[in-house]
Amino acid sequence: MSGRHTGEQHSHTVEGTDPQLYVAVHEPGTDAGLRPVMLLHGFSSSAKLNWEDTGWLAALLEAGRRVITVDLPGHGRSGAPEDMDSYAPSRIRADLLQIAFDAGARPLRDGDPASGLDLIGYSLGSRLAWEFGATQHELVHRLVLGGPNTADPLAEFDLVAAQRYLADGTPIADESTAGLLKMAQLLPSNNIFSLLSLVEAIKGEPFDPAEAVPRMPMLLVAGDKDERAASMPELAALGAKAGAMVEQVLLPGRNHTNAVTSRAFKQEAISFLAV
Amino acid sequence: MAEISFPLPDLGEGLIEATVLEWLVSPGDQVERNQPLVEVETTKSAVELPSPQAGKVVRTYGGPGDTINVGEPLIVFEVPDNTAGIVGTVPQDEAPKRRVRLSAVLDED
Repeated sequence: MSGRHTGEQHSHTVEGTDPQLYVAVHEPGTDAGLRPVMLLHGFSSSAKLNWEDTGWLAALLEAGRRVITVDLPGHGRSGAPEDMDSYAPSRIRADLLQIAFDAGARPLRDGDPASGLDLIGYSLGSRLAWEFGATQHELVHRLVLGGPNTADPLAEFDLVAAQRYLADGTPIADESTAGLLKMAQLLPSNNIFSLLSLVEAIKGEPFDPAEAVPRMPMLLVAGDKDERAASMPELAALGAKAGAMVEQVLLPGRNHTNAVTSRAFKQEAISFLAV
Repeated sequence: MAEISFPLPDLGEGLIEATVLEWLVSPGDQVERNQPLVEVETTKSAVELPSPQAGKVVRTYGGPGDTINVGEPLIVFEVPDNTAGIVGTVPQDEAPKRRVRLSAVLDED
């Protein structure tokens, strides 16, 4: 992998408590002179799994982009705070804004390609990117949303059933809940109770894409076998109605798990953000 | 020229196999070290494997949907003879041996 990177636990407090988020800024070997790209991973993943092991980081650095990666609370190398507030999507967005500024992102200025911030999200990361773009239009230049959805499967997650299963093995009736929990348990680095705190916080602030719609150009990408992203066209319609330039790409044969490595996805994203 | 075969590497976490999603190189391609070779999916995640070697691709094993076990052949490269032996060992640059002629006899060595 080309380029240098520095990683550290982010400690700039936004709401008085330390969010303990692990942030890394990756410098390209040859800088294209464009704004930084922030990568937002999905539930039960991490910057390493979602973006490094899949080849995204190397591809973006190769394209001359400066990349900011962050692990969500309870994920990857970030801390697992005990207070529920640290997991609220609104709180996470505030922390992301602070992280972007600390990493050198500056508000968009006409004619300055180094100003602003590009965002690439996957799944839960796409939800956060949508909301972040809608509220930070002075900063966000373009959005790439992978595996996006109008609803949030995490908001329908059956927490009681999950907790019962973890306590005594009672099977989980809801298929989506069982699948998400199984995925979360596969990775030893996951703090399962912290992930459940995130689910609970998301239930308190479920995704409502119509509430605030980003108006910057956006690229929506999903596998054509991705059931979790079946409502992507509705998201595209919402964006278009609000005046955003929206492009959609379907990846043949890919599902929610394996769309993320797709070379076509990376190439589309890199060229979409190279303006 | 010599051929070097690389197996599917250990992907960690006790994973024993992976499914090919898509090859990013084809036989005949000249690839650089660390160039993305193939996307594979395990029971835990999808990953892109970078090339461990620079060389010309001779063969790739498995098409989309095929399962490969860790340790089974994944790809074969063709490399110049003098680099084929150093895989898995530390390359050593031996100082060239200097021949000193003690007489002016014009024989071959």
